[in-house]
Amino acid sequence: MPGRQLIMNFEVTPTSHTLEAYRARGGYETLRKALGMEPAAITKEVTASGLLGHGGAAFPVGRKWGVMKPNPGEIHYLCANADEGEPGTFKDRWVLEHAPHLLVESMLITSYALGVRHAFVYIRGEFDLPFRRIQGAIDEAYAAGLLGAKLFGTEFLLDIVVYRGAGSYVCGEASGLITSIEGRKPYPRNRPPRLTVRGLFQKPTVINNVESLANITGIIRMGAEEFKKVGTPKSPGTQLVSISGHIAKPGVYEVEYGYPWAKFLDEDCGGMLGGAKLKCVVPGGISTKVLTRAEIEPLNLSHESVNPAGSGLGSGGMIAVAEGTCMVRFLQVLLRFYHHESCGQCTPCREGMGWMHRIIDRIVDGKGVPEDIDRLYAISHANDGTTICGMGDAAGYATVGILNKYRDEFEYFIQNKRSKFDGRLECPA
Amino acid sequence: MPRLTIDGREIEAQHGQTVMEAATANGIFIPYFCWHPKLSVPGNCRICVVGVEDKGGEWVEIACNMPITEGMVVYTNSEKVRARRKATMQFITLNHPVDCGICDKAGECTLQDYHYEYNGERSVSIDAKVHATKHYALSSRIVLDNERCIQCTRCVRFTREISKSNGLGMQNRADHSLVRAVEDGSFANDPYSDNVIDICPVGALLSRSFLHKARVWYLKPTASVCPGCARGCAVNLWHRRPEWRLRSPEQRARNDEIDRVTPLDNPAVNGPWICNKGRDLAKVFGRARAEAPMLKGRPTDLAGALAQTRSLVAAARKPVAVVSSWGSNEELAAFKAALGGRFAAFVKADHEPEPGEVVEDAILIRADKNPNTAGARALFGEAPPAIPKDADLVLVWGEGFDFGLIPAGAKIVYLNAWLQPENGHADVFFPVSVQTERDGHYTNFAGVTSAFSKCFEKKAGVSDAEALFAALSGQPGGGE
Repeated sequence: MPGRQLIMNFEVTPTSHTLEAYRARGGYETLRKALGMEPAAITKEVTASGLLGHGGAAFPVGRKWGVMKPNPGEIHYLCANADEGEPGTFKDRWVLEHAPHLLVESMLITSYALGVRHAFVYIRGEFDLPFRRIQGAIDEAYAAGLLGAKLFGTEFLLDIVVYRGAGSYVCGEASGLITSIEGRKPYPRNRPPRLTVRGLFQKPTVINNVESLANITGIIRMGAEEFKKVGTPKSPGTQLVSISGHIAKPGVYEVEYGYPWAKFLDEDCGGMLGGAKLKCVVPGGISTKVLTRAEIEPLNLSHESVNPAGSGLGSGGMIAVAEGTCMVRFLQVLLRFYHHESCGQCTPCREGMGWMHRIIDRIVDGKGVPEDIDRLYAISHANDGTTICGMGDAAGYATVGILNKYRDEFEYFIQNKRSKFDGRLECPA
Repeated sequence: MPRLTIDGREIEAQHGQTVMEAATANGIFIPYFCWHPKLSVPGNCRICVVGVEDKGGEWVEIACNMPITEGMVVYTNSEKVRARRKATMQFITLNHPVDCGICDKAGECTLQDYHYEYNGERSVSIDAKVHATKHYALSSRIVLDNERCIQCTRCVRFTREISKSNGLGMQNRADHSLVRAVEDGSFANDPYSDNVIDICPVGALLSRSFLHKARVWYLKPTASVCPGCARGCAVNLWHRRPEWRLRSPEQRARNDEIDRVTPLDNPAVNGPWICNKGRDLAKVFGRARAEAPMLKGRPTDLAGALAQTRSLVAAARKPVAVVSSWGSNEELAAFKAALGGRFAAFVKADHEPEPGEVVEDAILIRADKNPNTAGARALFGEAPPAIPKDADLVLVWGEGFDFGLIPAGAKIVYLNAWLQPENGHADVFFPVSVQTERDGHYTNFAGVTSAFSKCFEKKAGVSDAEALFAALSGQPGGGE
């Protein structure tokens, strides 16, 4: 167990996701407590807890909520972002499959705090079981009078709509997500205005990641002070880490912030597959910069420890890469993904992703030229902070992260027209 | 009123303006592709970046979506801004075919201008360009070249926000994005569709009727007024420059033809848009012309026709005139001054809505298909043409009048520009000039008077109506 557990704190059984089992674990008791509080007090409690968003940017949840001043009589919306599309990330899926009622209860509490009458769960279309589980949980909640009815003698009631996306990386970007709910092509929107000022259907909207929302119930149940005792002072709580790649025991782990990184990989995840050596690790989805074995050795899993190392925990989608993996091929996979998923709205990303993809394809074809490396740097740089959403930056970070550390492999590939290793991405062992 | 500094110049801006709007209103130029004053702000081309001074140094953002704040300091041409623009221009031209040599937009292309202004270098890419459809028929009027398209979405937003046909959309993702018309044909039926050709900053959307007809620098725009309906939209009529006249015998006729029509921004009348009918003025003005005066169908000279008219007017006991709603204010005033006291005058509609034509809508198109009904009615009253049974002389000015309404035995004096069967039935016929052959003014339905200018010289036998009326004045019983 990598530290204390706040979300994965029950035994998963074939029925543990049901309302009955959730009630037996004390489910929906926190909701009763929350409805006895002032809405502003809930926001205050969440702000005090220091909860950081788990979608990737680690933006303080309380600050996001604070921008949206609940205005009686005005319409506000809440969206749970379950469009988990960052490669390597599959932690929200765990919440949706095994603790859907935790999300529903959290959304009820959040909606009460923010004066929301209608909330949405935007779930990616490829999620089948997660969709059935969350829809099932919502149906159960309606049948039990928890949704669509006034609760516990208050005037508060909430409807939750599950919206299945048609599949695109940018649908997970908050403004692309709401544009998709509105029924249009999910082009991200320019800020300002912020979505908490003008979002879904032009109304103030809070969009939180599933895991961020799942923490709300715990914070209200135990109080901000107790919550902050878990994790580190600057990264309170836990993080769901979904680890994949050349690792012995891939899967979703709940890690308490501050847990040593190397220990997590070597002990909790059982080390590398087939006893291979770790070459590098993608910390939180492919849009964060890779870190080598030597770099992660002194680090622990918390934002204040990982950020100074030039990377970030991002969405918790960790990918372990074994020694002997060709990083040129690795980057090719990433850039193919970014090219495929660029929405094509703004110039630098629309043109830059395809350009980088063509360059890396050419290098892998053995037709690379030495200038290609600088060109990849230049395109990454020209995408940094110039696009409407964060996708251009993300692709740039990923590319620069790999080029910085493995430039020699690229030079070798260009010069010798072959990989420095056997060129495979499967575990070399 | 917030004050801000742009390039060292302190300017006053309106609350709620963006940096782009404030700069444009004060005559400071910031380059843009996707931004358009009449359309929403998508912020997708990223060329309008400006630098903003901040405590942490200068940061760079797009001007079209940047709200102004009190005391902000903006640079439109700092080193950072120039570097960013250059990188953006490299991206925009990355998959652009640069086939300016065969592109109709060359010479008035924003991309071409910006390339020389902000980049000036060849592409740094050595990879093949992305290919897309060329000569794609977006509608029967518009040809789309997807390789030239820079996906600014101006055309898409135009159909959504201005013409409301929702006829266009974007297909696919990334550098495979394509502008496409929706399947239900609403773009083909959009009566304003040709405006997307003008607002396209590159040569992606092209007019089929103007396709490969002339390089724009051989043409000259003349400010004019569209006579297609009572709106009287301000337009530019593009025709061959005199110094670039075509000389070959089979091409020579094109020197006196309208090559294309584009809108001229007039906020009081039409803004920057016109309808498709206005684009097709060449068809209206390209019809066969009457070129010689006639007496009962027999050609004569101007002096003979004038003499005959004078004697008919002098002999008439009850002369009636049907004046043209296509006459300019000057011509109408000349008629009133010369013959207004002698003739009982009515205003007629020269043109009625044609089958299949949009009769009226809430955007620009008016049901009255004549440009100067308001100006004519101001002089001659609102009454529709009613020829009394005892009328013995009827002067008809302009086309579209049913000669069957004229009492048998009444003499007819006819002024018309076009070669039409009625011409031969008149006792006296005068060929007159059309709008493109003279200067003048029209007054539209809302009372706004707009000027039009001469594009071409009129043919030898053709007279200006204004001159004819002046020549007929001073007659016994004529107006003083």
